[in-house]
Amino acid sequence: MLLEIQDIYGGYGGRDVVRGVSCQADAGDILCLLGPNGCGKTTLFRLVLGALPIRRGSVRIDGREVSSLPPRALANLAAYIPQSHRPVFAYTVLEVVTMGRASHFSAFEAPGTVDRDAAFAALEKLHAAHLANRNYAALSGGQRQLVLIARAICQNAGVFLMDEPAASLDYANHQLLMDVVRELAGQGYCVLLSTHGPEDPVSVADKALLLREGQAVAFGKAKEVITPQALEAVYGMEMDVLTVHDRYGAERTICLPVKKP
Amino acid sequence: MEFFYREEERRARRRYRLVLLALLAALGGAVLLSFGIGYYPLTPGQVFRAFLSRFGYGGELQPQAATIFWRIRLPRILSAVCIGASLAAAGAAYQGMFRNPLVSPDILGVSSGAGLGAALAIFSGAPGWLIQLAAFAGGIAAVALTYLVSRRAAYTQTLSLVLAGSMVMALCNAGVTMIKYVSDPNGALQQITFWLMGSLTRASLDSLARSAVPMGVGLAVLLALRWRLNLLTLEEEEAGSLGVNVRRCRLLVIFSATLLSAAAVCLGGLIGWVGLMVPHMARALVGADYRRLLPASALLGAVYLLLMDGLARSLLSLELPLGVVTSIAGAPFFICLICKRRGR
Repeated sequence: MLLEIQDIYGGYGGRDVVRGVSCQADAGDILCLLGPNGCGKTTLFRLVLGALPIRRGSVRIDGREVSSLPPRALANLAAYIPQSHRPVFAYTVLEVVTMGRASHFSAFEAPGTVDRDAAFAALEKLHAAHLANRNYAALSGGQRQLVLIARAICQNAGVFLMDEPAASLDYANHQLLMDVVRELAGQGYCVLLSTHGPEDPVSVADKALLLREGQAVAFGKAKEVITPQALEAVYGMEMDVLTVHDRYGAERTICLPVKKP
Repeated sequence: MEFFYREEERRARRRYRLVLLALLAALGGAVLLSFGIGYYPLTPGQVFRAFLSRFGYGGELQPQAATIFWRIRLPRILSAVCIGASLAAAGAAYQGMFRNPLVSPDILGVSSGAGLGAALAIFSGAPGWLIQLAAFAGGIAAVALTYLVSRRAAYTQTLSLVLAGSMVMALCNAGVTMIKYVSDPNGALQQITFWLMGSLTRASLDSLARSAVPMGVGLAVLLALRWRLNLLTLEEEEAGSLGVNVRRCRLLVIFSATLLSAAAVCLGGLIGWVGLMVPHMARALVGADYRRLLPASALLGAVYLLLMDGLARSLLSLELPLGVVTSIAGAPFFICLICKRRGR
């Protein structure tokens, strides 16, 4: 397994927000984290990224214990893709992407030709190289998200952590982003993705982890885990999971909140 | 196949080299100009011969021209170059670190601390070198206090630093006011007021030599770290996930920017606005990447302060305090800056 999270506990100032969560994902897997606000999705990411100390349990990437790694070594294993943000200064897209190379040289060095080529290659991989010299802050939310993914690609880590990447995107850009995520998994990246869309695990991911109040409600294959019972446990409301066929005959899953009339 | 975006990027790099060359040329021009202007004007020919006179060449020359060149204008020009470069580099670094384009190098209280140190030294009748040392020590102590307080504060590191900095500044300013209040109005008070105005009239090669070491160290560390400064403009967690030791990096930046601004303040007093506006002008020339921005800021800061000092010396028949001139030039610039930001 590329990513192994085993029974971890951790949180802020002595209070555990994540309590005893376990899950695994392999190269090429998409693991979807689903749960209401405050259920511990972001905290789980912070624990994996070493931004919060793990109080109990273990996180292993590529067999290496995350908590024992210095920031640079960890950055070569796991890349974090934040929600698209607007920086204060007018960096070009290429400059933003090149920041992903920080873990490849020491603090007193600057990126060279190799790093510039890696940044261009990452952008080309996402068909976004034409943006290279544009002002990052002036791009649309979807384009900025793409640039941050390019930055993660040139970081050269095998595991991507995406914290609600769709939160600030409109509907069409959300769908396009999910296509990119599928492509990334197809290229062998392991993608950990938190989301608020209950259908996302089934339509995008192979695996799903359902969280409520810092504890895992269910973990497993997305199709098996997303059940009305599990969603009701997560959201505390009645839910239906329906299987429908779209106009091309493909089987699709939709989740709906329901109310007794 | 060649792609247009690669060519664009190459052009940007060429442009940066050209801008840097132009700034170097501007610096040379500003230095020559500064040697010429003042109460006793020198023609370029006289400047050149005064320079050579030190080495036994240059031929016929009024004796005071050589004295003015070597004893008065040279220390002053070198000081302006060093102070301008230091303030601009420190300002650029802090703007990135605090992710705020409206931050100036005294945000952590370095100027107020230096002012308090200088005021104390002047009040107790210390000689010039001790005033300079006290100002430097005061600036460093103020930033150290800010840093220590911020470590105990319950907010994010940058916010804690800003809050602690404004407290330390208020405290130091109260101290300065107190000292001014009890000072002899015909002696120490005048001297303190003059010191706080910011001026290069008392610049000497000795005082410059004392400030040059901390300036050199600060500038060297910042220049070496300059690409990392880009990463400090990101959220702390994001920068951490890219493999940066954010806290250590910030501490290094605070350390070197403090050395730079404390050394600048103790050499020329409180010269405001340079550290705030020059990085913006440099950004307009070379972009936001600190790899280009920091050298460009330092050069531009040197040019800018030389020109301002030239104005201060030549605008009226009496010499204006440099701090007043930079403020008069800086305030309209700042207003333009905030209006432009709102319009965007």
